[in-house]
Amino acid sequence: MMKKTTFALALTLTTALSTQAFAADVPAGTQLADDQTYTYRLLDESSSFDPQLVEDTDGSGIVRDLFEGLYNQDGNGKLAPGVALSHTVSADNMTYTFTLRNDAKWSDGNPVTAHDFVYAWKRAVTPELASPYAWYMELMSIKNGAEIIAGNAQPEDLGVSASDDYTLVVELSQPLPYFADMVAHSTTFPAPKWAIEAHGDKWTLPENIVGNGAYKLTEHVLKERSTRVRNEMYWNNENTVLDTVVALVIGDENQALTRYRAGELDKTDTPAGQYPTLKAELPDEAIAVPRLCNYYFSFNLASGPEAFQDVRVRQALALAVDRNVIVDQVLQGGQFPAYNFTPAATAGFESPEIAYAGMSQSERDAKAMELMAEAGYGKGGEPLSFTYLYNTSESHQQVAIVATQMWKQKLGVDVSLENQEWKVFLENRGAQNFEMARGAWCGDYNEASTFLDLLQSDSGYNDAKDNNARVDELLAEAKSSSDTTPLYTEVEQILADEMPVIPIYHYSANMMLKADVKGWPVNNVQQKYYSKDMYKVAK
Amino acid sequence: MLSYTLRRLIAVVPIVLILIVICFFLMRLAPGGPFTSERPLPPAVMKNVLERYGLDEPLYVQLWTYIKNIVFYFDFGPSFSQKDRTVNDLISQGFPVTLTYGFFSAVFVLVLGIPLGVVAALRHNSFWDYVMTGLAIFSQIFPNFVLAPLMVLLFTLAWGLLPGGGWNGGQWQYVIMPAVALGTSYMASVARLTRGGLLETLSAPYIRTARAKGLPERTILIRHALKPALLPVISYMGPVFVYMITGSVFIDIFFSTGGIGQNFIDAAYTRDYSVILGLAILYSVLTFALTLIVDLIYAWIDPKVRSGLK
Repeated sequence: MMKKTTFALALTLTTALSTQAFAADVPAGTQLADDQTYTYRLLDESSSFDPQLVEDTDGSGIVRDLFEGLYNQDGNGKLAPGVALSHTVSADNMTYTFTLRNDAKWSDGNPVTAHDFVYAWKRAVTPELASPYAWYMELMSIKNGAEIIAGNAQPEDLGVSASDDYTLVVELSQPLPYFADMVAHSTTFPAPKWAIEAHGDKWTLPENIVGNGAYKLTEHVLKERSTRVRNEMYWNNENTVLDTVVALVIGDENQALTRYRAGELDKTDTPAGQYPTLKAELPDEAIAVPRLCNYYFSFNLASGPEAFQDVRVRQALALAVDRNVIVDQVLQGGQFPAYNFTPAATAGFESPEIAYAGMSQSERDAKAMELMAEAGYGKGGEPLSFTYLYNTSESHQQVAIVATQMWKQKLGVDVSLENQEWKVFLENRGAQNFEMARGAWCGDYNEASTFLDLLQSDSGYNDAKDNNARVDELLAEAKSSSDTTPLYTEVEQILADEMPVIPIYHYSANMMLKADVKGWPVNNVQQKYYSKDMYKVAK
Repeated sequence: MLSYTLRRLIAVVPIVLILIVICFFLMRLAPGGPFTSERPLPPAVMKNVLERYGLDEPLYVQLWTYIKNIVFYFDFGPSFSQKDRTVNDLISQGFPVTLTYGFFSAVFVLVLGIPLGVVAALRHNSFWDYVMTGLAIFSQIFPNFVLAPLMVLLFTLAWGLLPGGGWNGGQWQYVIMPAVALGTSYMASVARLTRGGLLETLSAPYIRTARAKGLPERTILIRHALKPALLPVISYMGPVFVYMITGSVFIDIFFSTGGIGQNFIDAAYTRDYSVILGLAILYSVLTFALTLIVDLIYAWIDPKVRSGLK
């Protein structure tokens, strides 16, 4: 009885999101364009429109229009109501209870209920579906999730249930303070059981698909275009402005820019190296904003050159890279020099004071030479040479050439470059068949652990194969801590001291966006856009 | 002739089977698999994914299943990269696009190339001959990967006459630039071959005899000279037409047509085994079919060839 009472008291309201209608926020007096058709460029065809199967960024963007999860993100990347209006979390951070709106409908008129989420989440972890993002569900620490994915438990055992049509209860296997931030991800969106059962793999074709998002799919020509139009069943259709959204697959980025200039596109990516010119020519349309991604060089500490075992060598190589040259003169796309692993734009993350970040480049160079001399390598010491591995890309190649020239000139280190096709590169990097390799990571959710977890000793993404018990301990502690800042700061300090990887820069998103398109979430570092939040003004 | 055609058709079967086996093993030898990704799947998920696509079976079982599904169900399997589509879907959607602009490109090549070559031959060393020669040089200087961007800059950006790309259901405005960009260099080659063939034929003894008999030049050209003069063009157009209707990777990517050429390159990058195999089969069958058609046209034109085909 005592236990029961304690539990009841322990349920505390932690989130009461604003219930304002999050859709296009059109300022009063704005004259909207007559034609509310928004056309943008995709680099490639989307992998799927199935929320539990989609795995590419562009495809997820389309899925966010076709389906709506518990929460959306607003223009600043903060949570906004989706199908859920609010949630409560138990005091032990182990049970989340979401209250769903009762006016959400599927495009066929059926109500969206908590059961649709239960079905979708169980579907995501079902081995037979083989979702490429099943690992994300595992990362969410839902009770029994990992066991089901591994085939050691049944999907029915997943810790998610509907206590009534509009209440979703999620039990976790460990406390996860940022759990609510993870439900804006497309893998967690609801799925229409009846449509899936009726059409099997073909349920996402325009003629079969049933969604609960602001738009519905009306056309999909593979490798050419997909079109979505307003879903009149969407609960906030009244406040949605864009009528039609067209995604055109254009593989050649310069051709895409030409078509953008010709007025065929409202948005496209900026071709590499052209941002400064385009910014000067079209200042209102060329945009660079921070992105939740990092770029780094990874040492192979498991089977790389013996010299890499010496921390002074690793530090010297890190210090000698002039990141400003790479960012300002090579990439020229508004990227940010990086001296720590987690991008500064990450929510709730305070960039720590990393000693070498505060030095001038000449001071760094002097220190680098000193460390290298101490270690006995490079100029005047034992010759140091290794191979740097990168995948086929002009910008990766340029970064590699510049960095290796810096090492050659400043430290007398000889580096040969090896370029491999993407899949070959991935296989070799993953199997530690490299000496030094490029690496990059984009956050799956807006919290520092999405980056720092990569450096855990047992992480499958820890290509450096760095083993640091203290880092593991701090990251484990962060999972249940209410104040992660000192923990993450210490992890970053350890990384700066030990340097298993060399942070180079943090990404920016470069794009060309027509000035009459409003509502693009330029401040959302995950670039999670929702067409329902956008509109076009009269020219 | 019929038995020759049947023999050729039957011969395709073992050749395609050998091709499937070679392609199948070559793909498996390439490093990296369809599910190799920057975010490696956990072992349990990877196991499920491989099981879903039958990739956990021994190679010989996979090969047998693949061939069996094609022979008995005409099923080329699922695409690994397009999760809700099969290879049949990809081909049935992309091939008509490629076929359409390839067909118009071939029409463009023949309708312009042959008359240009004829005029150049008949007006040997005249203005029209120089025009044809100039066109041939132009097509060498401006191959399709140079011509296509130039056309878009002029017709789309500068003059706003044509859309810069896309397909939009195959409306004529969307077909023109891909067809012309693809065909220009072939058109020049056809003109050159026609000119050369016709010049040679027109100097043959039997043409001199026809002229001596007083036959009109028009009759000599159409009835006696043109048919044999076009034999090199027919030989040339066979493989060219295969190339055109199976899709130019460059044209597909540059003009975003949605044709199958782009699928081939994408499938190679993503190691989409079933798509690569499906397209390889399609390409080989089309090559055989068109080579056969070229041979039959040859036989129709040249009685000497016809007698050898029995």
